[in-house]
Amino acid sequence: MTPELFFLLASILFSIGLVGLVSRRNLFVLYMSIELMLSAVNLLLATFSKVLNDADGSVIALLMIAVIAAEAALFLAMIVHIYRSGRTIDSDKLNKLREGAQNA
Amino acid sequence: MLEISIFTILALFMLGGSIAMITNRQTLFSAFGFLITMIGLGGMFALLDSRFLALAQIMVSVGAVVILSMLTILTVNAKNENLPYEPNKYKWMFFTALLVSPFTFLMYKSTSALYQSFSTMETISSKVLGKLLFSDWVLPFEIVSILLLTAMVGAVVIARKERRKKERRKSEERS
Repeated sequence: MTPELFFLLASILFSIGLVGLVSRRNLFVLYMSIELMLSAVNLLLATFSKVLNDADGSVIALLMIAVIAAEAALFLAMIVHIYRSGRTIDSDKLNKLREGAQNA
Repeated sequence: MLEISIFTILALFMLGGSIAMITNRQTLFSAFGFLITMIGLGGMFALLDSRFLALAQIMVSVGAVVILSMLTILTVNAKNENLPYEPNKYKWMFFTALLVSPFTFLMYKSTSALYQSFSTMETISSKVLGKLLFSDWVLPFEIVSILLLTAMVGAVVIARKERRKKERRKSEERS
């Protein structure tokens, strides 16, 4: 068992999250992609914690999990708010703050 | 040998789940892919000998975050015509993957060049983690608690129904 495999997995997961974030327009998928990227960083932190024989990395990963939970709550509340006001979960149709927006 | 086979199975589940997450058109199916990925990540933490992290991952990410997002998806219940129209989804995905893949390779190479092997150590038990959390990391811990409180209040404020304008208008009409 070498740490290389974990590094490979973390980088691939991060990239999948990045691809989903760039190429999709569904707000839920954007949210889940951000979560996936954060989780990939979490995996990297845990791997480094094991490699360096230092529990500090695990503590940072634990704090990250709390931050992820806070981010999830805020993002989902924002999605509910957007859907309630505009009946859409398309990130391309969000133009409320644009100058001269039609459906304000 | 056993560890490698477990790692392979978990990694395949995670990759499959994440790819299903970003490719599915139906939002609930991508949430299921996300759920599989999060459970696999918990298994990865267990494989890395950090027990408490695996437990926290299962409890918080799987038990709270994924379930909360699934509940939100079911509550929003966007019909097929409300979902975004993405005709060139796979083309975009292909080009983005092509663009991102060199950075993936670079990230993998640069991290794996740092350390070649795991240190032989005992598991990171919750005892060690708790002691660290309340001695060296007590300030970030408190900051995280404030952050969670702020996020809770903010989520309540953002997701609240905005009734005031209508009510005010109605009362003006009545008068």
